[in-house]
Amino acid sequence: MRIKSLVLASAFAMALGTVGIAAAQDTPPAITPVACEEPGELTMWVWDENWATIIGEAINEWTTDYCPGATVDLQVQPWANYWELLRTNVAGGDMPDVFNMSQTNVGFYQENEALLDLQPYLDAAGIDTAVWGSGMIDPYRSGEEGDLYALPVNWDTIAVYYNKDLFDAAGLEYPTAEWTWDDFAADAEALTDADAGVYGAAVYSEYQAGWPNWVAATGVEPVIASDHTTCTLTDEGSLEGLNFLKGLLDAGYMPTISDLGGSSADDAFNAWLAGRVAMVAGGSWKLPTALESADFNWEVVQLPRNPETGRSRSIVHSVGYVGAASTDTPDLAANLIIFLGSDAGQRYFAEAGGVAPAAPSQQQTWIDAFGTDEVNIQTFVDALQDSQGVTVFDEVWNIGNTELPVNIFDLGMSVEEATALGCEAVDTAVAGM
Amino acid sequence: MSTLLNIFGRTPRARRKAFWGLALIAPNTIGLLVFFGIPVLVAFGLSFFEWNGIRAPEFTGLDNFTRIFRDPLFGRALANTLTLALLVVPLNMALALGAAVLLNQRLPLRNLFRTIYFLPVVTSTVAASVVWIWIFQPRLGLIGIVPGLGTLQWLTRPELVLIPIAAVTIWQRVGFDMILFLAGLQNVPRALHEAAVIDGANSRQRFFNITLPMLSPTTFLILTLNFISVFQIFDQVYIMTQRTTPGGVSGSATTLTFLLYQTGFTRSEFGYASAIALALFVIVLSITVIQLRLQRRWVFYESEAG
Repeated sequence: MRIKSLVLASAFAMALGTVGIAAAQDTPPAITPVACEEPGELTMWVWDENWATIIGEAINEWTTDYCPGATVDLQVQPWANYWELLRTNVAGGDMPDVFNMSQTNVGFYQENEALLDLQPYLDAAGIDTAVWGSGMIDPYRSGEEGDLYALPVNWDTIAVYYNKDLFDAAGLEYPTAEWTWDDFAADAEALTDADAGVYGAAVYSEYQAGWPNWVAATGVEPVIASDHTTCTLTDEGSLEGLNFLKGLLDAGYMPTISDLGGSSADDAFNAWLAGRVAMVAGGSWKLPTALESADFNWEVVQLPRNPETGRSRSIVHSVGYVGAASTDTPDLAANLIIFLGSDAGQRYFAEAGGVAPAAPSQQQTWIDAFGTDEVNIQTFVDALQDSQGVTVFDEVWNIGNTELPVNIFDLGMSVEEATALGCEAVDTAVAGM
Repeated sequence: MSTLLNIFGRTPRARRKAFWGLALIAPNTIGLLVFFGIPVLVAFGLSFFEWNGIRAPEFTGLDNFTRIFRDPLFGRALANTLTLALLVVPLNMALALGAAVLLNQRLPLRNLFRTIYFLPVVTSTVAASVVWIWIFQPRLGLIGIVPGLGTLQWLTRPELVLIPIAAVTIWQRVGFDMILFLAGLQNVPRALHEAAVIDGANSRQRFFNITLPMLSPTTFLILTLNFISVFQIFDQVYIMTQRTTPGGVSGSATTLTFLLYQTGFTRSEFGYASAIALALFVIVLSITVIQLRLQRRWVFYESEAG
């Protein structure tokens, strides 16, 4: 059941190709909300306090203008135990009506038919799902027709954050979007100052912000193919990307995970903020932190291009709004979700200047909200053009997120050995599903 | 109705007494039933089913139990837990006894030291684990003051990762066991020591021939409690491996309770997780029964003495 629907969904994805968001169009398409039929009560879960504030404001507009009389009990369940709590509540038959979903976790709920199919509601509201880039919504599609089960809240892409002061000190030119892996390696070498404890780069940590971006640039889907069964870790492109990064580590231009104090992308980013690393791969969600905390001059640039393919490819991920299949008021839940995903609902995220809103019409508002000319925030929108959607899920995500990078970038295992082990683990995880 | 009431006693007075007795134990009994008794029964039942939390549970007989014997993860978790027991129990008990003997003497600031040793016991394991992560941090950690130890990747190397986990466990446990040993030491009759002094025994001889045997009931209690608590180690593993790879690289830090948690709450295999819980119960029970058998050979109860 799961495999079949995923194959169909991925066939659908391939048909759409790797089209990014419709950023190049002159007038971005609009997503217009509709009024609800009958008000009622809904429970909603989000995992982030800041998001809850933003979504809370959007909900106020919904209950005022689109669904007077409706009430939403908006609850924050912190990220640290969001998924455990959700699974426990699912098991207890007490799911929230509307909640946030990630692409790496959605498979379990789709497979068990726990989510509300939003496609009929989107069709009724006249919303064409092509307004969103395929990488943002394909993982949320399921079933023979590729029905959409989540509306994207946001998107995030990855770019290289670099410390301009360190570039100046080393007498280097600032990188441009056309730079290649070779340029990157040369810069990393020149920026490394072992005596001062400064590393040139830290770009391998975690799945989303780390090494998979480099594998994607070779044209390989990182960790697992979008059919959700074929491990790609031992493919030539994976070995090429990982060996390139391991080469930088072995040469002393990148710190180990132990040096960074942990395997998370936050650990790498904090080292960059502390001036211990000159270049770091970071998500667009890190912009507010960097603007607030970096006490040096910095800029962002797209990930360097693979010399052979000429591609710079960022992993793209979108958090989604989903409804529970078991909700008593599916029409109302879908109506709220459509409002939150619409231009009207997304405006609140755009104006908050945090994560990038998924609605195409809101991109410029989001860029302007940062109020800075120093940093080229458009870089992250550009990165959407050639981006790689998330193909990992559950344990397979975990293998690529921590297990593999720890083996290679901390314990000194060879790329060949670590990827062979990784594929064994992926195969076991896939077989156990 | 009257027959039902009769089970509480024949006379109204006896019944009234029984009623109050039951009323007074009710809060505890109800709590125990709701939060312990019923979940245990449910887990027992669930262990015969396959259930992912969403779909209807499917009866699979003994499949979950036979899977335990085939599951390499379970074998690994059991081996890790036993290794932790070997690391923690002897060292912890030796340290606790040493501290108790020291602090049983007339030292200045004795109560202050007793308090200091006891502080880790009332510290949250989560907070303690975070601090111990810093201590074992390879480049900057305090462990680096010992030459050669500072460059080791304590928290990622599969062959090392259990050591920091054992360290924080001992640090947290030693104060509690010290208090138990202290209580035991204070029950050793002074007359025995005085008699031994008259017979010319030195302090070493008195420790091994009087103190230790008289302490054996306390030692037995601590040993049993130690084993049970080692088999329940979870928080340390959860916190200390979360920043690198949960449960350790290739499951090197996965204990039985951590495996149980992962199976249930991240893999949504509630039936198999319940079977693991039952297996854990049987293992702890067996170890405790073995200890109870063996104690007859070495534990000395004063009341039995001629």
